[in-house]
Parts: sequence; structure tokens; C-alpha cells
Amino acid sequence: MRQPPHQRRWHSDCVPRILLIEDDDRIRTSMRLALTDEGHEVVEAPNATQGLDAFAGNGADVVLVDVMLPDLDGFECCRRLRKSSDVPVIMVTARADTHDVVAGLEAGADDYVTKPFEMKELSARIRALLRRARTTGSAGGDTIEIQSLEIRPDAGVVRRRGEPVHLTRTEFRLLCELASTPDRVYSREQLLERVWGYDYFGDGRIVDVHVRRLRTKIEDDPARPHILVTVRGLGYKVQTAP
Amino acid sequence: MKFLRLRRTLGLRARVTVAFCIGTFFLAGVMAGVAYALAHNYLLGERESSAKRQAFVDARLVRSELRSPDADVTSFLGTLPSNSESASLVYRRGHWFGSSVLVAPSHLPPDLMNRALAGQAATQRFEQSGTTYLAVAVPLPSVSAVFVQVFSLRELNSTLHILSASLAVAAVVTALAGGLLGAWASRLAVQPLRTVAAAADEIARGNLDTRLQAQDRDLIRLAKAFNAMVDALQARIARDARFASDISHELRSPLTTLSASLAVLERDTSGWRDSQRQALELVKSETASFARLVEDLLEISRVDAGAAETNLEEVFAGEFLCQVAANLCPGVPIDIVGDAGRCVIGVDKRRMERVFANLVQNADRYAGGVVRLGVRRDAHAVRFEVDDAGPGIPPAQRERIFERFARGGHGHRATGTGVGLGLALAWEHVALHRGRIWVEDRPGGGARFVISLPLVGEESDGERVPHAGGAVERVRAGVDRLTRRSHLVGGTRRGDGST
Repeated sequence: MRQPPHQRRWHSDCVPRILLIEDDDRIRTSMRLALTDEGHEVVEAPNATQGLDAFAGNGADVVLVDVMLPDLDGFECCRRLRKSSDVPVIMVTARADTHDVVAGLEAGADDYVTKPFEMKELSARIRALLRRARTTGSAGGDTIEIQSLEIRPDAGVVRRRGEPVHLTRTEFRLLCELASTPDRVYSREQLLERVWGYDYFGDGRIVDVHVRRLRTKIEDDPARPHILVTVRGLGYKVQTAP
Repeated sequence: MKFLRLRRTLGLRARVTVAFCIGTFFLAGVMAGVAYALAHNYLLGERESSAKRQAFVDARLVRSELRSPDADVTSFLGTLPSNSESASLVYRRGHWFGSSVLVAPSHLPPDLMNRALAGQAATQRFEQSGTTYLAVAVPLPSVSAVFVQVFSLRELNSTLHILSASLAVAAVVTALAGGLLGAWASRLAVQPLRTVAAAADEIARGNLDTRLQAQDRDLIRLAKAFNAMVDALQARIARDARFASDISHELRSPLTTLSASLAVLERDTSGWRDSQRQALELVKSETASFARLVEDLLEISRVDAGAAETNLEEVFAGEFLCQVAANLCPGVPIDIVGDAGRCVIGVDKRRMERVFANLVQNADRYAGGVVRLGVRRDAHAVRFEVDDAGPGIPPAQRERIFERFARGGHGHRATGTGVGLGLALAWEHVALHRGRIWVEDRPGGGARFVISLPLVGEESDGERVPHAGGAVERVRAGVDRLTRRSHLVGGTRRGDGST
């Protein structure tokens, strides 16, 4: 797994650093106040360009990206972040039932919140992502081998036919969760709860998009998956044999 | 009045057909009458002139015979060319000569004889025992006699009868053909109306992009007017929808700021006075309900604009209800009737949770809270029941409460901060699921809100059996837009009066 040096910073830093890319001054200020109050270090950026620069300079543990930005839209910003990093990204979207949610997730976001959100809700999302980041690597000790895949949960490494596969932390956690009990069917609700920390009413599309993205990285033909398969009406499973 | 009643009972097409029928029958009748009259006169004239010619020829023969002193008139008359259709008679010195059986001399019209005796040739038609005869009287003054020849017109009459019968039949046939023509023409004329009606239906169903396409020159005006009307309607609907959505969008940013700032304020209130804490609580709860209202407005304007998308997932009805209860009203008894727990339904969890949240909130605010949640299976649907402890809802109010900004009963303004978008939104959300929501009496008093969602399948022996015709798919919000639209109009209008 490719790891640029600046992304390991949180290991030494006790205070999680949050990069906040939001163009509305008042929203940005109030969020900075609230997040700082909760013990985060907040770096603010009023547009995507400054945000990407700030990330390249100092890194961050979590990035909050608003969908509507003056220079680049949030999706493009997210895609550019993803080119160089697997940092957890939360999209701040306008509406929960729009294409924005799916587009944001497709662009590589790990999670989303919709405006106006409760700070409690946002903090919970951030906490879940930070926990996910920290626990990557401790999901299990042994190497799991599934078809052409070799997963080492402790080292955070996935190899496909010996070649390392680049996964985001959320994708990695999702794969580890499914692969820890091969051939067992997980419902969306179970995956949402275990990987994202949502309750029953979490948005199943988060799982669907992540599964889709994961397939493009681990399957020979993502349209006809052999490893991570859909069990219609029930959920997903990782199967040991095609 | 009678005509008006006829107009109402008969359709346009029937009326056109009848009018064509009557019109063509009248025209054909007149034509037949004229044709008959012309033919009648012509044939009769021909017959009369030929009869006259013959009578004068015969009269000359009779005169030369009578000049000889020993004339035997009777036998001479027998030698004249004659047939069963004509007879010859001679009147001389008070006696009739002739042996015809065709007609007796006494039956000849006296007028004819008078004119002949006065020295004038005459013709006259007369009837005797059902047959028409033509009599030609030629005075023979040189031998002081009158020659009378009588012709039967039976043949001519029967020809005329056949003619009149065929003309009548032709008139009737023409009238029927006219009726058929009328039916065909009216159908042709009504065809564009059907196209317009189909387009109007389509628009009423919510497909506002429907337009009329007229190739016919005569219909272009109708199509243009119709399309202009739909354009205006569509623009107006879009404007209305955009207005609500724009306002809500504008309110979202300050609400986000408010909510984040409140989180900072409420984190530590240890040094605050009680009154300050109370004020903070008020701001907090009002901000929350304001945020909910903005959320609801946005939601409802998206539905109005037809832009709402559902994200249906298959869930077990029983499990879903338990999760709803755990989230919204823990401790309330849950009643899963029969095998309802194993029924599979397609729900957009976010929307359906809002529906239940709105019902629970409604019950808390107006009806003493929820006392029971139930789920049971109907034939092709799953019924969720939310029972409250209130006084129930009178039948007259049961539809009105689902209208926008309608409040439950009177005098609740002081107790609740929310306005009545909750139930209207619940109605919309359920409609997006192709389901229904209504309110009925709870056995034992109180109201029972019922949500009926289509059954997708059920689980038996660990296998999931899909229900006939039930496949979960993403449905566009176009469904039921017709009913929704009328609901909106009725709701705002009546809502204005009630608040």
C-alpha cells in the first residue's frame, strides 16, 4: 500500500487534524469553533485550490469537503485528493436524495453529511472515520487468502496475484470485514454498522458504492464479480471459490 | 328545451349522424318527388297525344262509314284495330253503338259528352272500379254523331307505381348512406379531440412535457393554443416549485451556522444563570424545528418538481418496525400480527423513518403519544398501524389533516411549534413508495394511522420468495403526481382559510 510520508502524521499527533474546505465564511467559522471545542485541530480553506495546497503541505487526518465550491466542485476536489492519498473524506452535500451523494461517494468520499447537520452527527462521523483509520491493521493477525487475493489485516496490505492493490482505509476495512468470514452473507445494515458505525437507518448507498469501487480494484471483471458477490435481497459476501 | 335535452343525451357524433341522416333523407325525398312528377307528366302527356292521334284516325274511318246509308255501326266498330286496353263507342241520335266490355257508356263522364255534343273534341281521365281510363271524344257533326274512344291507363299506372316505389327505396337508401357518411365524417372530426384528450390525460398524469403535434392545417390553431396553455402551466409549476426550493436553500446555510454555534454554546453552560440556560434551550429547540421545517419544505418542493428519487431497499416488515420503534419511541408495545414479520417490502429507509417520525411527533403533540405499533399483512400489501391515545379524528377531518399546513384540531397553536407539513410530507413519502396512508378509528378510542405499502415478497423456510409483480426498483417521483397536484391545490387553498 502506497503511503506518502505526510500521511503517517496522526500516529505521532495526539490531536486529530481536520481540513475544512468550505466557502461560506460563517459556516466555516462556526464549524471551526465547534470542532476545535471538541478537541480537533482545524485547518480552514475557503476554496478547493487552497484546500489541496494545505493538504499537500501539512496533511490531515480527516477532510471535510463542501460540494459547492467556487473554483472546483467538491467531487473534483475529492478526486484530486484521492490521487495522492487515502485520507478519510466526508462530503458535505445539499440533499440526501440527490445524485450528489452517489457522485461524492463515487469520487472517493468515505461518508457524507447533509446541510443543515447537527454537530453531534458530524462529530460521530469523524470519530468513526478516525477509529477506522486507527484500527486498520488490527482486524486480525493472520493472512487471509481468497482466490487470487492475499490480505494481511495487520500490515494493511492487499495483494492480487502478488501485486499490491491500493485501497482506501474504508475499502480496506470493508474487505477485511467481509473476508474475515468468507462465504458468509453480510447485510448492508451489518456492514454499515461494522465499518461506518451507522445504525439501521444508515444509507445503504454508501455500502453499494464502496463495493463497486472495491470490485474495480480486486476483480478481473468488475461487471461479473467472482470474489465480492451480491446476494440478491440479502447483501454481499466474499466467496472462497467462484 | 327538448332540443337542449337531446343535446345532452346524445353525443356529438350521434347528433351529427342523425342530422346527416335527416338531411339526406329530405334532399333525396325532394329529388324523388320532382323526378316522379316530371316522369308522370311526361308519360301521361305521351300517352294522351298517342291516344288522340289514334282516336282522330278512327273517327275519320267511322265518319266515312256512317255516310253510307246502310251502315252497320256496331260491326264496323268491331273491325277497328283494337285491343283489350281500348274500346270504341259511337253515340248517334240518342243511341250508343259499340260492344265494348271495357266500360259502359253510362259511366263516361257527363262533362266530356257535353263538350263533345257541343261540337268540341275533348279528352278526360276518369276512374272506374279502381282503374284509370282516358276517354277521347270526337264530334262528327256531318253525320250528327260523337265518336268516343276509351283507353285503359293500367299499364301506365303500374309503370308509375314501380317508378315511385323505386324512388322511395332510393331515397331511404340515400338517407342511410348519408347517416353512414355522417358517422364517418363525425368520427374524422372528433379524432383530433381524442388526441387532445389523450394529451390532457398524459399531462394530468404528470408528464408535463407532453405536447400536441398537428400536421393538419385546420388543427394547427388548436394545437398551438393547447401547447401554449401547457407551456404556461409548466412554467408556473416550475416557478412555484423553485420558489419554495430556493427559499429553503437560502435558509440552509444560516441554519448550519446556527446549529454549529449552538453546539459550541451548549458544550459548557456551568457558569450560566438558569434564565440563560433556559433561553439557550429555547433557541436550540426552535432551531431544530426550524431546520426540520426547512428540510420538509425542501423535500416537498422536490417532490412537486418531480425530482425526488427513492432509494428502495428490501427489508422485513417486522424488523423494520422494531428498528423504527427503537429509534423513535422505545417502550411502546409492538404487535406483529401473524406472518407479517416475514413479509418483505421495499422502503426508502430515510423517507419511511421520517414518515414514522412525523406520525410519532404528531401523536406526542396532539394525542397523548403513541400507545401501540402494529404490522399485519393484507392481500398484496403490508399494513403498519400507529395508534395514539388521543380523542380520535372526526371523519370530516380525516382527509384534511394530510393537507399542507393543516393543524390537528383547534387551539393547538400554543402547544406546538411545528406547522402542519409533517402529515402532508408523510403522505408524499408514502405515495413515492406506491403506498397509501390514511387515518381510522382505533378500537377502544383514539386514532389509528395506517400506512399500506406494497408487498415485495416473503420469506418461508429461510428462502425469500418474491411476490408476484414485486421487484424493487428505483421509482421516479412521477407516480401519482396527478393526485398529488390536486392535493396541493386543495391543501393550500383550504389551508389558508384554516390558519
